[in-house]
Amino acid sequence: MNKIFIVAEKEMNGIIRTRNMLVGIFFALWFSVMTAPVIKTVEGSLVFDQFNNLLFYFVLMLGIFMAYLFSGNVFFNEKREGIIETLLCTPLSLRQIWAGKVLGVTIPAYLIALLAAALITLIANIFSASILLPSPAILLHIVLVVPGFTAAAVGLLGFGHLLLGMRENQILNISIFVVIFFALSLANNVIGGGYAVSWAMVGGMLIVAVLLLALISYLTRYLSKERIATTIA
Amino acid sequence: MNAIEIHDMAKSFNGSPVLDEINFKVRKGEIFGYLGPNGSGKTTTMRIMLGLLKPTSGKALIFGEEPDDSNSDLRSRIGVLLENNGLYERLSAYQNLLYYARLYGVPESDRVEKIERLLEFAGLSGRRNKKVGRFSTGMKRKLGLARAMINDPEILFLDEPTSGLDPESRMIVRDLILRLSEDEGMTVFLNTHDLAEVEKVCSNAAILESGRIRACDTIVGLRRSHDKPVLEITLVDTGCAERTLNLLTSQDHAYDCERDDRMVTVALNGESPSTVLGMLVTNGIAVEEVKNATKSLEAVYLDIMKRGREHE
Repeated sequence: MNKIFIVAEKEMNGIIRTRNMLVGIFFALWFSVMTAPVIKTVEGSLVFDQFNNLLFYFVLMLGIFMAYLFSGNVFFNEKREGIIETLLCTPLSLRQIWAGKVLGVTIPAYLIALLAAALITLIANIFSASILLPSPAILLHIVLVVPGFTAAAVGLLGFGHLLLGMRENQILNISIFVVIFFALSLANNVIGGGYAVSWAMVGGMLIVAVLLLALISYLTRYLSKERIATTIA
Repeated sequence: MNAIEIHDMAKSFNGSPVLDEINFKVRKGEIFGYLGPNGSGKTTTMRIMLGLLKPTSGKALIFGEEPDDSNSDLRSRIGVLLENNGLYERLSAYQNLLYYARLYGVPESDRVEKIERLLEFAGLSGRRNKKVGRFSTGMKRKLGLARAMINDPEILFLDEPTSGLDPESRMIVRDLILRLSEDEGMTVFLNTHDLAEVEKVCSNAAILESGRIRACDTIVGLRRSHDKPVLEITLVDTGCAERTLNLLTSQDHAYDCERDDRMVTVALNGESPSTVLGMLVTNGIAVEEVKNATKSLEAVYLDIMKRGREHE
């Protein structure tokens, strides 16, 4: 088996076994319960737009939030404990280790986002008179854009954790948490903005996700074993 | 071919030199001790040899190759036990070894047998399914050593392998290291400040001080090269011991004087033993026996450290 998948499998199993996974499931449930009932306040055809906007925004945000939550466990803790040094002495290259970890974090983070999508759909249908299903554009968003952005977020966070020292990492963690919290507090404005998610919007987001992934993949060239070894606590 | 060759290696961080003019060789199958106080540059040297750091100048060769990131074949021949054991606390002993076995590409058919053998070697067979987080420091260290051997390395780098261990665990780890060299012919590079450890397990050693190698030889050679004659003088009368010490030190005949009941141990400062003996007898000190003694590695080490500080 490709060594990237060995790392990914180990990280995935690690996340599933920790309470972080339970925290992730809790957030998926909480966001769904808190947001989906807004459907009952909307009337007529707007209900479909509102439902799709909900999925568009919250599923993406939850994917990114889970990326943040799980990345700390995988990249930051491993660096803080110094295990990364031993890993860097194995036959794996630095990029293989990084890629394996990104994959291993992205999959469970994306699964939580999918769970949120299913829960939002379920709860919204309970509160709606008509049957609500995601539009084709939203399906594309969930299938391609959300995992793309989640992977980009994990890649960027992993890059940051490996590049920065412990103190800078703590500042980074707090800053990202504040940004995510702020972004979630803007939810009402984004969801209820009186617009419908279009193919163009989803296509644009997909291009941004691909560009972000390419940028992060390029940035990892600036990661070096020396940089990691000298910034370990 | 030597297992390790270090040529004129230097390393600076932000312009501050940490290592300078490092040169040494380690033959295959040798247990090489790398001695030095905390902050002397031992771990930096090891990190360069492992490819975790790049030297500012000079080079480190492992089996004739530079340990850069692209050289995965070389890394597959190396075993490493750093200060951190490289173990995942949430995984069991078995799962930890299995993970590393897969990373090193140990064939699937050999994995189980190899892991069982290493658990046996580390004395942890009975705890194979226990989470590492519940292990004592000693057990983690032993498992770390087993982990470092999962790929049957030709060379093993050990950073303070007995640090933080109780005396019994220390002895067990030392025995394990000796067995690796004797039974498997493995080359072992041992980073430590534990002199007793080096004396017990190493055939050769280098002493590092302030980023420079101050001595590098066999253990016996180190003792000899930094050896000014050491005498063990047994006095007839215990009451004369203090006077003997005063006489020897006041006239600058000796340094590093120690006293134990009737026995006085002194390192001579260039004087011949017969001159010293004559001087004691002339001063009315009755001597029962005089023996040449070998200086301990500890005394050699402390001497080198002292000279290094004086040199600065």
